[in-house]
Amino acid sequence: MKHRDRVLIALNHEEPDRCPLQISFTPEFVTRLKHDLDIDDEEMHNPHGGGNTYVIERKLGQDMLLTSVGWANSYYASETYGEDGRSYVDEWGVVWKSVGYETRFGPGQYTEIVGHPLDSDDAIDSYIAPDPHRPELYEEAARVIREFKDEYWIVGVTVTTVFETAWALQGYEKTLADFVLNLDLIDRLLEIPFTYHLEAAKKLTDMGVDMIWIGDDVGAQDRMIISPKTWRRFLKPRMETFISALKRINPSLLIAYHSDGNISPIIPDLIEIGLDVLNPIQPKSMDPSQIKKLYGDHLSFWGSIDEQYTLPFGSPEDVKQEVVTRLKTIGDGGGLIIGPTHNVQLDTPLDNFWAMINTVLETPYDSI
Amino acid sequence: MMLSALYQSILEGDLEAAIANVNQALEAGEDPGVILNEGMIAAMAEVGRRYEAEEYFIPEMLVAARAMKESLAILKPHLVERNVEPVGTIVMGTVKGDLHDIGKNLVSMMLEGAGFEVVDLGTDVPAVRFVSAVREIEPHFLGISALLTTTMLGIETVITGLEEAGLRDRVRIMVGGAPVTEEFASKIGADLYAPDAATAAKRATALLDTA
Repeated sequence: MKHRDRVLIALNHEEPDRCPLQISFTPEFVTRLKHDLDIDDEEMHNPHGGGNTYVIERKLGQDMLLTSVGWANSYYASETYGEDGRSYVDEWGVVWKSVGYETRFGPGQYTEIVGHPLDSDDAIDSYIAPDPHRPELYEEAARVIREFKDEYWIVGVTVTTVFETAWALQGYEKTLADFVLNLDLIDRLLEIPFTYHLEAAKKLTDMGVDMIWIGDDVGAQDRMIISPKTWRRFLKPRMETFISALKRINPSLLIAYHSDGNISPIIPDLIEIGLDVLNPIQPKSMDPSQIKKLYGDHLSFWGSIDEQYTLPFGSPEDVKQEVVTRLKTIGDGGGLIIGPTHNVQLDTPLDNFWAMINTVLETPYDSI
Repeated sequence: MMLSALYQSILEGDLEAAIANVNQALEAGEDPGVILNEGMIAAMAEVGRRYEAEEYFIPEMLVAARAMKESLAILKPHLVERNVEPVGTIVMGTVKGDLHDIGKNLVSMMLEGAGFEVVDLGTDVPAVRFVSAVREIEPHFLGISALLTTTMLGIETVITGLEEAGLRDRVRIMVGGAPVTEEFASKIGADLYAPDAATAAKRATALLDTA
């Protein structure tokens, strides 16, 4: 079965031969994986799709390929490092710093945001956002579509769509406070990434991606970070405009929405505004079986394998059990693209990683 | 009543009104300790309650805490003058290698709102600095925060450092942060764990009463 057909069947709420699979990685994990697989390919892996060669994804049997345009690409923009080799300023004016970490499997780097172009109220008056119309932004997506759309489900990625880019521009605490104290400023601020990512998503839709992935982290471990009311006031209308603009261009386009954590209060709202796929269903925050029961008729799901405990700290048997449980619950009758909820981190044992892959690839739906 | 205006302005996160109200209360000769307890601590307790009830979220809690913090700064010299003591002292910090602080900042503000004196060491704090702060300041609590699974093990390093310096039993250790759990906290021998700032203030206050 073609990879893209497998995805299409699943998202149509039917069971394909096996559950479709999608995995994103931190660059360090990819290096380790390539070593394990004896793949000699020097290009740094960008979890958001920019610049990577998809050798790993395809070798692992993944069914979806991601191609990203927008602010999220700044997370791993290592080619723009300044002279110190550790910090850079992205084209939006956000300042980044590379911070090292240690795991039992070796060291790695996270990039942290350390400076914000709009950290004072009047900076927004003179701010000029990057231009989403530049043709070079879409060369990558064009290549992916040209080379792989025949076989794979292609996802255009414009995550960190509104809120996350907004707080990167202005500062997290300031933005959270402004949601209560300065609503006009918030509206002006949110328009900046909203406008950019909408243009980018429209272009990607035009070019022929199968799905657009949007979203913002508005959920914390056990509840939302901003209130559902705040989300409905500032983010829902923008997401609604976003989704309908894209579906006007391509009525068959599917939309996936990302948020970490527990966003259960706003799931009905997302369904209302035309969402098709909910991602990543962080299992320690929202129970995948419950979510399926409540919303499985209206939504498909993408993710669900636990990164907080199972993958890094469980046994390979735990991982296997979790995969099978997901197939039987949130993946029952299709409607699931399975995978880890977030980028696989370097602290994940390879045995656990392979247990996940092998269980997915070797468990036909009709064996469950 | 002046204190109910202060209470309200803190509850609503109205910084300007809170500052005006505390000044007015002082000028009217209100007892600073009473201003603290009825105008501020009571307001922050209500903020905490609303957060737990999911009526307030981070933005609402944050602006209330800021309003309290700024008005408390105005009140503080008067509290000192009248010998009004904080209910306890707590040293706070994020572990070495970790730059994240919004959680720690919120906890600090909520603890101040509960009447604690907070000494914030900032982020990326080496274990030795936590240890020397405990030695110098002799706080009731040491609050340690970590946001990453990779830095969270640094909390244990701090506890070991305190043990080696013979200071472990002089202070109660409170831990928190996204990857930190109740199980991890008890495994490493922390005294207190809280999943959020409102709970932190509540639990620290309760533990103080059992000193």
